Amino acid sequence: MTPLTHLIAQSIWRLPETLSKDQRYLYASLIVLGAFVLVLGLIPVLQTLPPRGRRAVIVTVTFLAGLFFAAEFFLPVDWRSIFPKDDPTRNFLTPAIQPAQNVLQIIGALALGLGTYGLVRLHLRNVVQKRTQWGYSVVLLVAFVTMATFSIWNTLAEKELVKKTPFVERGFSILFDFTLVQLDAAMFSLIAFYIFSAAYRAFRIRSVEASILMFTAMVVMIGVVPLGAYISYTLLGLPQGPAPADADLWTRILHSAGLPTIANWVLTTLNAPVQRAIEFGVGIGGLAMAIRLWLSLERGVT
Amino acid sequence: MQPQTIWQRMLSIDRRLLYLLLFVNIVAFLVAPIRMTASISPPVQKFYDEIEKLKPGDLVMISSNWSASTLAENQPQLEAVLNHLMRKGVRFTFISIEAQSRDISYRLAERVTSAAGYKYGEQWAHFGFVPNLTVAIKGMVNDLPSTIKQDVRGTPIEKLPVLHGVKSLRDYQMVIDVTPSNTVPVWISYSPKELRILYCPTSVMAAEAYTYLDSGQIKGMITGAKGAQEYEQLLGIRGLGAPFANAISFSHVLIIIFILLGNFAMLMQRRYERREV
Repeated sequence: MTPLTHLIAQSIWRLPETLSKDQRYLYASLIVLGAFVLVLGLIPVLQTLPPRGRRAVIVTVTFLAGLFFAAEFFLPVDWRSIFPKDDPTRNFLTPAIQPAQNVLQIIGALALGLGTYGLVRLHLRNVVQKRTQWGYSVVLLVAFVTMATFSIWNTLAEKELVKKTPFVERGFSILFDFTLVQLDAAMFSLIAFYIFSAAYRAFRIRSVEASILMFTAMVVMIGVVPLGAYISYTLLGLPQGPAPADADLWTRILHSAGLPTIANWVLTTLNAPVQRAIEFGVGIGGLAMAIRLWLSLERGVT
Repeated sequence: MQPQTIWQRMLSIDRRLLYLLLFVNIVAFLVAPIRMTASISPPVQKFYDEIEKLKPGDLVMISSNWSASTLAENQPQLEAVLNHLMRKGVRFTFISIEAQSRDISYRLAERVTSAAGYKYGEQWAHFGFVPNLTVAIKGMVNDLPSTIKQDVRGTPIEKLPVLHGVKSLRDYQMVIDVTPSNTVPVWISYSPKELRILYCPTSVMAAEAYTYLDSGQIKGMITGAKGAQEYEQLLGIRGLGAPFANAISFSHVLIIIFILLGNFAMLMQRRYERREV
């Protein structure tokens, strides 16, 4: 008897190849329509349900959605017994990853639309009701509409769906290359000024630990930039690169004394193990959080 | 009221003066014709060696996820890497999970490739923006054309000569992640194990990546603008990395000088207060 997994793999995720093109379109349209009706039908059902019932539905859907990805990743079903020429690392759930991926992309796109709707609604209300600083909302709305218009127009022109005119090209370039990109870069570069001011005011040698930290930071700051190499190898004349195998102790010390070598040693020998320990802790924390979310144990999920 | 000592005045220096000093320092060393030779760090050398191993016609995925905010670090990296890939005759495709990067990387690649005579669609392509990297990688591992569907120009993936015969991410030889975000663990976790991963982070993200470099999960790394300068040096080209690294070098010096000055003023003020008591 054919195992259930094989039946699922062969019949659910793919429409039979024997169907004509029109029939395939019809089936696909029916599936999409059915899913749409199901989702739309779920909303009033969820609203009529008491909170406990609603929670049960959400918990079940969350669990099944998580289970799908976990099962697809971990299941070691031998796919070759069904499709001998196919990739042996796949299992019977693997073909469903693609539709799931499409669903997630659509949800992501919906979230973008929802965010845009919320932003425009909030600022339109500010302008209509003339709330405090409503002028900024006008600027935001005008900028939003202008940028969106030129961006969509330019994208359509790139796809050759509309004609690419010099007006669109120039307009998009002024808004994107010469305004958005420059403003974004300028905003981020302000951090350097705050860091400089903060380092001057706060980086104080008040303990042994602080002294070690400051000394190490200084060595790395100079060691990783070209100035470190210039000081070590050009000004001080230290030998560059690893010492020869038969070199004496003094030669080995000289080869290791360059600021870039010390900085690299700090990064690979001191920094890497500490980072690994932190990442390990974060990873375990993330796993625990993922399990809590999957099992709807986290407060505020439902 | 007692007049302030010189040390107190130093400790309460107007922050606008500090901002001005840093600004002048950056601009001066950005335009100054000083060019210092960088010492090639081992991660950059490994990065270079990995690309040198590629053969003409090999396929590389460039995950470009940076926006204008980190342009100063990621742009010189990407330009240097593209130059190397084109020199090797390698085919490459772009993907972005950062909406702004879709346009930035596409426009940058168009400029760099057209200067080198690389043809869009035949030798390189851009897949555009995808909202979720994990899902996109999992999809591309199984079926790349169905996941991506069409490129930024609206051409179906199957019709792009650069992707002739490509069914999944397994047909690629390498992934290069140019990013200020923590996307490299996603590539390590979900991409095929035989795919070599190279990483171009901003300087602030590099410290975290040394663990992956140590374990061999990342084969090489270009760290920020100074990594780009080292790479340009290896390639023998003049790009944006050198002047940017120059400005960073002397900004570091300025910061160190002022940290030392701040500490000196603090110690002198303490000494003065003890003497007064």
